[in-house]
Amino acid sequence: MSPVQSALDLTGLTLTLESAAGRVNILKGIDLAIQAGERISIVGPSGSGKSSLMMVIGGLERPTGGTVTVAGRTLNTLSEDDLARFRRDHVGVVFQSFHLMAAMTALENVALPLELAGEADAFDRARDGLAAVGLSHRLDHYPGQLSGGEQQRVALARAFAPRPRLILADEPTGNLDQETGEQIIRLMFDQARRHGTTLILVTHDPGLAARCDRTIRLADGRVVEDTAVTRAAPGERKGAD
Amino acid sequence: MITLTELKLAARLARRELRGGIRGFRIFLLCLALGVGAIAAVQSVAGGIQRSLTQDGRAILGGDASVRVLYREATAAQRQWLEGQGTVAVTADMRAMARKAADQPGAEADLGAAGLVELKAVDGRYPLYGRLTLTDGGSDVQARLAARGGVFGALVDDTLAARLSLKPGDRLTVGDATVEVRGIIDHEPDKAGSGSIALGPRLMISADALPATGLVRPGSLVNWSYQLRLPEGTDAAAWAKGVDKTFPDAGWRVRDFQNAAPQLTRFIDRLAQFLTLVGLTALLVGGVGVGNAVRSHMDASVHSIATLKCLGAPARLIFQVYLMQILALAGLGIAGGLVLGAVLPLAAGRALAGLLPITAEIGVYPGRLALAALFGLTTALVFSLWPLGQAQGVPAARLFREGSAGRRGRPPTWVLMALAWLAAVLGSLAVLTSVDQKLAAFFVIGAGATLLLFLGAGTGITRLARLLPRPRQPALRLALSNLHRPGNLSGMVVLSLGLGLTVLVAVALIEGNFRREVGESLPANAPSFFFVDIQPDQLDQFRQTVLAVPGAHDLETTPSLRGTIVRVEGKPAQEQVHDPDKKWVVNGDRGVTYQASAPAGDKVMAGAWWPADYSGPPKLAISKDIAQAFGIGPGAHMTLSVLGREIEAEVAVVRDLDFTTLGINFTLVMSPGVLEHAPQTHLATVRAPAGAEAALQRAVIQAFPNITAIRVKEALATVSTIIVNIGMAVRVVAAVTLVAGTLVLAGAIAAGHRRRVYDAVVLKVLGAVRATVLRTFLIEYGALGLITAVISGALGTLTAWAVLTKVMSMKWVFLPQTLVLTALLSTAITLALGLAATWRALSQPAAPLLREE
Repeated sequence: MSPVQSALDLTGLTLTLESAAGRVNILKGIDLAIQAGERISIVGPSGSGKSSLMMVIGGLERPTGGTVTVAGRTLNTLSEDDLARFRRDHVGVVFQSFHLMAAMTALENVALPLELAGEADAFDRARDGLAAVGLSHRLDHYPGQLSGGEQQRVALARAFAPRPRLILADEPTGNLDQETGEQIIRLMFDQARRHGTTLILVTHDPGLAARCDRTIRLADGRVVEDTAVTRAAPGERKGAD
Repeated sequence: MITLTELKLAARLARRELRGGIRGFRIFLLCLALGVGAIAAVQSVAGGIQRSLTQDGRAILGGDASVRVLYREATAAQRQWLEGQGTVAVTADMRAMARKAADQPGAEADLGAAGLVELKAVDGRYPLYGRLTLTDGGSDVQARLAARGGVFGALVDDTLAARLSLKPGDRLTVGDATVEVRGIIDHEPDKAGSGSIALGPRLMISADALPATGLVRPGSLVNWSYQLRLPEGTDAAAWAKGVDKTFPDAGWRVRDFQNAAPQLTRFIDRLAQFLTLVGLTALLVGGVGVGNAVRSHMDASVHSIATLKCLGAPARLIFQVYLMQILALAGLGIAGGLVLGAVLPLAAGRALAGLLPITAEIGVYPGRLALAALFGLTTALVFSLWPLGQAQGVPAARLFREGSAGRRGRPPTWVLMALAWLAAVLGSLAVLTSVDQKLAAFFVIGAGATLLLFLGAGTGITRLARLLPRPRQPALRLALSNLHRPGNLSGMVVLSLGLGLTVLVAVALIEGNFRREVGESLPANAPSFFFVDIQPDQLDQFRQTVLAVPGAHDLETTPSLRGTIVRVEGKPAQEQVHDPDKKWVVNGDRGVTYQASAPAGDKVMAGAWWPADYSGPPKLAISKDIAQAFGIGPGAHMTLSVLGREIEAEVAVVRDLDFTTLGINFTLVMSPGVLEHAPQTHLATVRAPAGAEAALQRAVIQAFPNITAIRVKEALATVSTIIVNIGMAVRVVAAVTLVAGTLVLAGAIAAGHRRRVYDAVVLKVLGAVRATVLRTFLIEYGALGLITAVISGALGTLTAWAVLTKVMSMKWVFLPQTLVLTALLSTAITLALGLAATWRALSQPAAPLLREE
């Protein structure tokens, strides 16, 4: 491990949810430390707890036990609104289903987190963000007028717009064809590298996982494997970034 | 602390969110517009009438102030005093019989149908204010009424002209006088000021013509009105109060122009209140639709809310964003309602013109429209806050996990407190803006309880359906499970239709009972004729004339005098009234009679009648109302002033009078030996078969021109028309409630359309024919409609019973056909809406849906 500050520390993390069938233990004691700027993939079979782990890290779900410290802040004690502000300032999320605001244009979607943060230059920065993902010509289009790849690029621009320390991506290419998915991944890695952002992504794609610095495998709510990725050839790394 | 920046951001986001259009809010907008429109329309019409009453107060009263004396003229001294106060115009009003003069064509045939008229004799100064206009454009009252060639003129209203086929130049006989029609009245400025129900059309003559009629005799039922133009700068209200103090025992009714038609004002106030409350019911029913629309909108916005939260928006901002949207939409709906409420009265203005004695000043009344808007806004908020409060609790995790938002929690405590506060504001608004606050409070409690009851009924039906054994018949089994499955419409059908139907049932039963009473019960018991103003010396001949008509029977005559209650137990009567609601007993004259023994079937509440041969000190039989007004009973002493002579008598008996028989009833009956020689007239009632009524009237009018015959059927028809018109107004507003309920239901059914299409497709895939699917849905909707009808019928009946027996002290008759009609209406509405939705569902092709699923 390098001696840089941890971007993320999870200690004894557990998550139990109520369901119609009774209590379900989703996460069963996870300990994890992630350094700033690391690119992490979380892999595992369906129902292993990947998305739940993401939600807890993003302050979208409260853990039942253990502590979550992100960017030096312990999330367990924060109120609902404090968690929202924390996300606004430190976390960007990219979803498989994009989750753009249907009634807002691409520009407005990207400006939204900046507006929420009270940034005066929200729209200028949003314009830059869309230019960075190659969508300068789609500023005034609504999500319904964009292709799936374009929507995900808007979602990427939105996630990176406030310059968060952490990006969480849940199957970001799951709804895209291979070629488009490849473009999105390239853009995402590029942005993360440029801004020094820690990147955590959930994926079923071994190829995508291999492009990360580290792969964490979950099974039945536990970390069963945590390995640093060794790359076969420099060209591949270059291609990934 | 909410900052302006935060609000601006919320407004910006709210505006963006609304770009998707307001399709999902059509029912929301319609419900609000309908409810607000109904209240605004009622308020606008009431405002128009009140403005007329205020603006034209002097014309309606006929002066700055007026003094009315019932049944006798002011004394010379009083008259002199009045003349000293300002310019005085004197009018005399009475009921009389008018018929075509004997030498006019058709006169003989008209005798049997000779008209009861409201005769008004005016002096040379009439009208002091306002203009009396005639259909020929003239307004020269005095010139038209003046004697020409020894014949005085007369003005008649169009009803009398039509009834007796009169045209200008024709001659009429009224009492002993013959007058010539010189014009048809188009507008009589002080008509609304008379205060009593007009049983006949207007006949106006000059005061100079009145003596010749022979109608004014001692004891005749004449209202004398002294209308005054006071000197410039006189405070009319203060003057009117002063008169009461100057002549406390004169029995005068003094009014000033600001209170020109108190009875009409009171009537309009009460009717407006009642209609506003019914309108508020429409708004409450619409509120259910508002709540549904907001809930659907919030459900559709779950992803947006979760995304906003994910991007860092705090719950407060989310609440503000969606509250602003609801406020904006509510504003739109309310604005639509206000336009509707301001425009509708213009259309209704013409219809009202014939029904009211004054012209309503239809216009825009900002205060009244603001009240309707306030009702709309509070209702919209009361019904929106719950789903709004729930929505802000949508977890951001919803974006990752389906079903997280399915668990609808309770809104936060502060939202619940705001909801309770707004509900209290709405209730208070209804109570505080009402003239009868007790009734309004009952309404608010009743409406709230009814809403809760229907909510509970919906839950009850769902639970009961779940508990019932599964029928073997598939259609029936499916229908039963539709009643309780998740997302069922049971509660919604009951709630949206129930309140409207309850109001309709209550209104229909109350009106039905009124109509029954006036149209059937009263006429069945009532005499055929009332004859008034029979002079003592005419009595014997009158009896012979009446009884000579074949079929005439049950002739009863009673002496009639007028008296004022001046003292009770030696103290001024005005100060002795215990019950403020019965202040009327000391306002002006009361009818007084005398008789030797109790009438047949008399209900004695306390004390006992004097013996038939009683000849001791004066004793009195008083009505229950008078006893309650003063809190007295047998043994108490009461002093009456009869034609200026004071008579102290001991109360011997308290009676419960039954006015529904329409027989002769006097609230004050004196023992014999006191009033026999006082100036008096006699009243008579007589029964006759319908076929003999015209002959009876003809015989009496020919022999006694001064005697007025009131045909009870006609009088009741007049009253009945008034009831029908009021009932119509109430039913129109109540129908708005049902329309709102139907809209709400249609919205709810439309919202469940996708589910219905899915069910229909699956059933078809499994081999169900259309008829089976249709039958399933028909059973479901039919059952819901019937259950709603039963609950509404029971609640509406209870309400009607309470209003009739407790508030109006009337007899209650259950009218089952009204309930059957309600049940049919309810079932028809639900079936029609359900059928329409099912038919659409059945027409959907299966393949696309199955591929999608």
